Amino acid sequence: MTKYKFTTVEEMPPLAFSLESTREIPTGSWRHVRPVYRDKNSPCHVTCPAGEKIPDYFELVRQKKYKEAWYKILEDNPLPGVTGRVCYHPCEGQCNRAGYDGAVAIHNIERFVADKNFKNRKLPAAVEARKSEKVAVIGSGPAGLSCAYQLSRLGYRSVIYEADHEPGGMLRYGIPDYRLPKKILDKEIKDIEALGVEIMVDSKIGDNVAWSELERYDAVFVAVGATHSRKIGAPGEDLKGVYTGIDFLKELSTGNVPKVGRQVLVLGGGNTAIDAARSALRLGKRVTVLYRRTRVEMPAVPEEIEEAEKEGVHFEFLVTPVKISGSKGKASEIELMKMQLGEPDESGRRRPVPVIGSNFSMRADTIISAIGEEPDLSFLPYSFLRKGIRLFVDDEHTTGVPGIFAGGDAATNPNGTVVNAIRAGKEAAISIHEFLGWRSRSNGVSHDAVKPEEVNTFYFPHEGRVEVPRITVQKSKTTFSEVNKTLTEEQALTEAERCFTCGTCLHCDVCMTFCPDVAISKDESGEYTIDYEHCKGCGICVNECPRGAMELVPEGAREAVEEVEHI
Amino acid sequence: MGQIKYQLPPDEVLAPGHFACPGCGATLTMRYALKALGRKTVVVIPACCWSVIDGPVPYSAAGVPVFHTAFETAASTASGVKAGLDAQGDHETTVLAFAGDGGTFDIGLQALSGAAERNEDFIYICYDNEAYMNTGIQRSSATPFGAWTTTTPAVSPKAEKKKNIIEILAAHRIPYLATASVAYPDDMIAKIRKAKDIRGFKFIHVFSPCPPGWKFEPEDSIKISRMAIESKVFPLIEIIDGIDYALSKEPDGIPVRDYIKMQGRFRHLNDEQIGIIQANVTEDWERLRAKFAPTRKVSRSRRDESTGENKSSQTRNVTRTKNARKRAQKSRG
Ligand SMILES: Cc1cc2nc3c(=O)[nH]c(=O)nc-3n(C[C@H](O)[C@H](O)[C@H](O)COP(=O)(O)OP(=O)(O)OC[C@H]3O[C@@H](n4cnc5c(N)ncnc54)[C@H](O)[C@@H]3O)c2cc1C
Ligand SMILES: Cc1ncc(C[n+]2csc(CCOP(=O)(O)OP(=O)(O)O)c2C)c(N)n1
Ligand code: SF4
Ligand code: SF4
Ligand code: SF4
Ligand code: SF4
Ligand SMILES: [Mg+2]
Repeated sequence: MTKYKFTTVEEMPPLAFSLESTREIPTGSWRHVRPVYRDKNSPCHVTCPAGEKIPDYFELVRQKKYKEAWYKILEDNPLPGVTGRVCYHPCEGQCNRAGYDGAVAIHNIERFVADKNFKNRKLPAAVEARKSEKVAVIGSGPAGLSCAYQLSRLGYRSVIYEADHEPGGMLRYGIPDYRLPKKILDKEIKDIEALGVEIMVDSKIGDNVAWSELERYDAVFVAVGATHSRKIGAPGEDLKGVYTGIDFLKELSTGNVPKVGRQVLVLGGGNTAIDAARSALRLGKRVTVLYRRTRVEMPAVPEEIEEAEKEGVHFEFLVTPVKISGSKGKASEIELMKMQLGEPDESGRRRPVPVIGSNFSMRADTIISAIGEEPDLSFLPYSFLRKGIRLFVDDEHTTGVPGIFAGGDAATNPNGTVVNAIRAGKEAAISIHEFLGWRSRSNGVSHDAVKPEEVNTFYFPHEGRVEVPRITVQKSKTTFSEVNKTLTEEQALTEAERCFTCGTCLHCDVCMTFCPDVAISKDESGEYTIDYEHCKGCGICVNECPRGAMELVPEGAREAVEEVEHI
Repeated sequence: MGQIKYQLPPDEVLAPGHFACPGCGATLTMRYALKALGRKTVVVIPACCWSVIDGPVPYSAAGVPVFHTAFETAASTASGVKAGLDAQGDHETTVLAFAGDGGTFDIGLQALSGAAERNEDFIYICYDNEAYMNTGIQRSSATPFGAWTTTTPAVSPKAEKKKNIIEILAAHRIPYLATASVAYPDDMIAKIRKAKDIRGFKFIHVFSPCPPGWKFEPEDSIKISRMAIESKVFPLIEIIDGIDYALSKEPDGIPVRDYIKMQGRFRHLNDEQIGIIQANVTEDWERLRAKFAPTRKVSRSRRDESTGENKSSQTRNVTRTKNARKRAQKSRG
């Protein structure tokens, strides 16, 4: 500070004046709360079972860096072309934009990114050094594929044993073409193979490959899915014209169109039932789905039920089969009983109870029973713990037998979805890595996600969710070609722009713009610095941040402050 | 469309370390004004919070010369400073009178009217925090109906409506008149820059929340400013030559209640009183609306808003500048 010294009255100015800047006054001492930059999780990321870094890859999409966006997804999920089509997208259910003007169409953008990279592509190489250990994976469904893929990223060689003639599990033999074209699946499986994952098809453990064969591996991941249809337990189940949903769909997907009569009845309320119904409809039949509870309890994805309805599938609720009868060994009629909803069962859904004396019959040329699938664990030695019909695993996917891990539909706590199988594969790969003596980088997803009220919606003008392009219902109900289309680039960009980018700073300058104390500055690299010498802790920056990427912490709580700064 | 963003002039003329309360709207007003005007500016400040905010001798936060003057004399002092600069042949430096609502609506009104009538060539910014804050929250004629201040306690809150300073100034037919808000810094800066390029008397009325005076958390300053605009309590407008009205932003029209509920100074109000405020706001809005009702110019300016182009206002700017110059010459001659 310059000192002004006046030795005579004449030297003094006629008025008092200031030549120093208040910059010398440390008004930061007034502060009792401190703003800090702190990136937080987005609810979509926390909710996505695969743990995709959704706001991060959306930002790459907005910059039209589609390859980088794809790579970002591939860190967590090797099958974005699949999940972008068939994932039931729980992420969107938690999207902070949902309550504003409609959730961001996350899975459609995921699909756009995958499809944009359909041609001329190569997966990034392993992230970790090559290891000498080898891992066996049983089953090439999404759980097995995801595990083998993550293991190869970690530097391991793995071999997948697949009972069927082609890999993919339910992705190939369950989900029909009109939702997931085979060329998408084939491409993503090829990519995984290109990383060095070996897939041995026609190799069923416990059948043509002995369990003991696996002893030469350092670890095993059991991902055999739930491939056996549950029996309805009604007389006549074995008549001709009665299919299980899984068999029916498998036949279709291998190109052998099953024989079906004009009137098709589908028993069940899950995805298999809906897919079987929509497939039969595409064969030009009249199709009715019979379900023992009501529409709200149906476990199938609501959007799929809606689609089925639009295409002309009929529904009968609160009915259960009693007996199938027919002539000359072929089914022709089904006897049903009416149900009503009673007390909630362990799943929380109201239990259906029979209405005595309400039996009635319906004509049925073909009956498809799709009341659920169970794993076939008969190949496993008895030493394995089971829980109900499934193989018991803990949160780390260990079975209790050292070196043997399991996940996906075959193991406990699946929720019977593709993305959960992908999650199981990823988590199991990390567990195997640790079992083999390595320390893995923390995968811990912290669950504190940005809440809707932390988003400052002022900064986001209303813009409705994208209308997903699709072929007309008239057309869709007659063909197995894909119903929903990929977003156009323009649509994908508009949709990605809708994302609030919850919790990740986008360097939008809003915090800096509104600081009354000029305490925020930006350096050449684009990073912000808060001048705590002068910040008074008003909190405007934190409150105005459009996306909850800042936080106010109590002043003086040094540990809290330091912890936050190191994130 | 994505996120709304602001591109402000990067130069920070205002220094930190000033004496404003946390979350002060008046301080943001100054920060944006100096960004808009740049360093070739002289500021004249009468007695008000800003005489304190700028800092104690020998410190100053403004980063440009500041002349502190008596409560009632912002406009007359600024007239003098402008004449002094002119006398020295400096026609470039901008003179900015920066006064509170007390110094503008009340005690400074006579000097303000004089300067406006003489069409003095400077910018007058009134940062309106709706009371005498510097001396401890006494009512001013800018305090809104129903508000608590230390001189209008909750048992008998302010019974009169806020004085309509805009219409008073419009009646002076000054070349440029605008309202602005700290929640819309891009709009405020554009208006101040426009004012800078116009000769003659320019008045900008800025809505500037005061956390301790209005009793709200400092972090909500911007939110409250935004709600004042969106609820039509404080419309963002421009008036050219006191005659041509243009709306700068179409408000969403949120209930006034939402705005009022954010502030402790309105806590005592019952539903009936809030109803009166809403009715007043609606009536004032309709009256204002009628002034820029479907004339050719207005539809043009709306189109500008949607395309983000400023073309027609620039053209209007030119004519205005001519008018202003003519008038300025007349007043000097
Ligand atoms: C018709 C249908 C539609 C569906 N639609 C959807 C949907 O839209 N969205 C969604 O998220 N989920 C859907 N699902 C569920 C989803 O497909 C499964 O949850 C998922 O495929 C489970 O993955 P997984 O890897 O555990 O098992 P699977 O995909 O079942 O794969 C298991 C694999 O292991 C093989 N295998 C079994 N036993 C052995 C053995 N002993 N030796 C070697 N290999 C063996 C099988 O042949 C199979 O390839 C659907 C399921 C069905 C049936
Ligand atoms: C002639 C005169 N009367 C009273 C005062 C005391 N005084 C200083 S600032 C002020 C209030 C200023 O109110 P306003 O103009 O609204 O500015 P704010 O303090 O709200 O920023 C008063 C009454 C004074 N300085 N001079
Ligand atoms: S995998 Fe499923 S949950 Fe994850 S982002 Fe994609 S659609 Fe959402
Ligand atoms: S707005 Fe974007 S970041 Fe936030 S939850 Fe939705 S998709 Fe995720
Ligand atoms: S706006 Fe400025 S003064 Fe207020 S808390 Fe943020 S950095 Fe500090
Ligand atoms: S306001 Fe913008 S720049 Fe500041 S923290 Fe939030 S996202 Fe980042
Ligand atoms: Mg005031």
